Amino acid sequence: MTGPATSPVPVPQEVWIHGGPALLEGVDDGPSLAAHRERYGALPDLGLPELQHLVGRVGLRGRGGAAFPFATKLEAAARRRRPVVVVNLSEGEPASAKDSALALARPHLVLDGAVATARALGARELHLVLPGERTQVRRSILQALGERSDGLDVHAHEAAPRFVAGQARAVIELLSGRPNLPVTAWQPEAVEGLRGRPTLLSNAETWAHVGLLALRGEVAYRRHGTRQEPGTALLTLTRPGEVPHVHEVPYGTRLRDLLPEAAWGLPALVGGFHGSWATWPTVASARLSVAGLAAIGTPLGAGVLLTPAAGTCPVALTSRIVDFLAGQSAGRCGPCRNGLPALGVALRAVVDGSGGTDRVAELAGLVRGRGACAHPDGTSRLVRSLLAVLPQEVAAHAAGGCAGEHRAVAS
Amino acid sequence: MTDGPFLWYLNRSTGLVLLVLLTTSTVLGVLAMNGRAGRGVPRFVTQSLHRNLALLSVVLLVVHVASAVADTFVDIRWWQAVVPVGATYMPVWLGLGTLSLDLMAVVVLTSLLRSHLSLRAWHSVHLLSWLAWGVAVVHGLGIGTDLGTDPATLLAPEHRWAALPTLACVGAVLAAGLVRLGRTRRPARVREPLAERSLP
Amino acid sequence: MSRLRVDWPSCEARGLCHELLPEVVDLDEWGYPIVRGEVTDELVADARAAVRACPRLAIRLVPR
Repeated sequence: MTGPATSPVPVPQEVWIHGGPALLEGVDDGPSLAAHRERYGALPDLGLPELQHLVGRVGLRGRGGAAFPFATKLEAAARRRRPVVVVNLSEGEPASAKDSALALARPHLVLDGAVATARALGARELHLVLPGERTQVRRSILQALGERSDGLDVHAHEAAPRFVAGQARAVIELLSGRPNLPVTAWQPEAVEGLRGRPTLLSNAETWAHVGLLALRGEVAYRRHGTRQEPGTALLTLTRPGEVPHVHEVPYGTRLRDLLPEAAWGLPALVGGFHGSWATWPTVASARLSVAGLAAIGTPLGAGVLLTPAAGTCPVALTSRIVDFLAGQSAGRCGPCRNGLPALGVALRAVVDGSGGTDRVAELAGLVRGRGACAHPDGTSRLVRSLLAVLPQEVAAHAAGGCAGEHRAVAS
Repeated sequence: MTDGPFLWYLNRSTGLVLLVLLTTSTVLGVLAMNGRAGRGVPRFVTQSLHRNLALLSVVLLVVHVASAVADTFVDIRWWQAVVPVGATYMPVWLGLGTLSLDLMAVVVLTSLLRSHLSLRAWHSVHLLSWLAWGVAVVHGLGIGTDLGTDPATLLAPEHRWAALPTLACVGAVLAAGLVRLGRTRRPARVREPLAERSLP
Repeated sequence: MSRLRVDWPSCEARGLCHELLPEVVDLDEWGYPIVRGEVTDELVADARAAVRACPRLAIRLVPR
């Protein structure tokens, strides 16, 4: 292979944004501050206890993939002096477009969430991390910043065009003026982050939910979703070769209702490139729920539902994703630098029928939990789910009888 | 016994033994970075030997300095053992010895506190040991009576017993230095799997 | 009880941790450490030695 492998799904330059019940309500208004204020009203000044109460009551979780409780982060950041607030819009995963959708349609909702939190914490600094490869997102956010004055020290940064550039510690490195690559975190960022200060770093969608809570309150927020998981989530529906669709979906919604009919009956990749495969019966019976999807072994991650075109071989697609992810390693941690390319080789051998799955399973187990960031873990999860969830498709290759189309996934 | 030839003998002998010890420690320090784990001498053995020889050198250095100061034949004061300028007896050569001692003191102290420092800080200071070694050798050549005062007579029969070990030490450290320079490059991005080489 | 944490970007597969603490640290096929399980009280002294010996200062003993 020459040069790093390209993504089977290119970084989207366009996105279909569907209107939704709360975050994406009336998206046709446009992204201006005037339209935003008309729909959501003025941003109230929330005290820290008030904000903590709000995010704690609705159980808001981070939307970057780890689903960490936001209230816990907020409390940690509030415990020490001079906190910093960071909005992570880097969206390094090519299959995801939901943060781009927010940046394009609802930039002020994201900014309102971050500003309300900065004020409640008494933070003076607000940092925004913009994606390197999505120029329209950068332009939209910078334009939105130009429309408002929040009395904060606002800095915009551009993330490197790399899958791992949006990882929390890589972002702190970028903000510190060092290479935008992950380093070992001995403490959570909310305890010790940028220049040793408590750093409340969250994904753009998380901030949009904080903004929504601040603007509309708990009762309105609870109008959607379930009792256990109130509110909505953004999902990116991605099919290789097509423009991704972003939907705002209340928790509790059946996943099958979101998927186009062409995807019915086929396995889907839940959670994106770091996600897990699910068979059609699993997808068909699943409902949108962080806890529920994690319980059946397909965590929602950053909200990507990737459905290969009919006839695409999921094994070949996974192999291409793994080759891409191997090339996206920062190359700093030995197990990832050596293990992911080896995993790519082993999986390619499975695809062309020359190798077995033992080596694949061994390498997938070997790289797990052994890196400064979750890149090896996520890649391992993808591969292990392929072996566990689609054993027949995998076995068909050894028998030389894979009926799937291998070229359909080529970009 | 604070006077007379004993102190002089002690000072000369510790000087030469120090050269051998510091050389061995330097060479082991380089060797500890080479090769591959799980083959040959365990790396922690090389590393411990490197450290313990260096610590032994510190003890010997104290004896070396104390014998020079206590010897009344030459006028060397206590403060001249730590301040590299202002000595009355052979100020340049003695000053170099003092400079080497100061450098070694910094290297040893930072190594004892190594786990509290950043790797980069510790390593930058540790590289000073090359300088300390070189300065110490020049000090020995300049002040050491056993090597004579004229470089032309260095290998004369009466000096040979001290000159040959000195030259061997210089050769060993030069070789170690070349090995060290050869491996400053970053490790290859993808390593060869160990499994393909026979593991014990 | 405590456990070993590796600073992966600093680790260069020197392997001293495995030599000094084979009970807890294995090496993978590229020579990088595989930390297996916790450091029991009997092994804490050896674990500290392994931490001190790391040429890259790339492991720490952290409380569980």
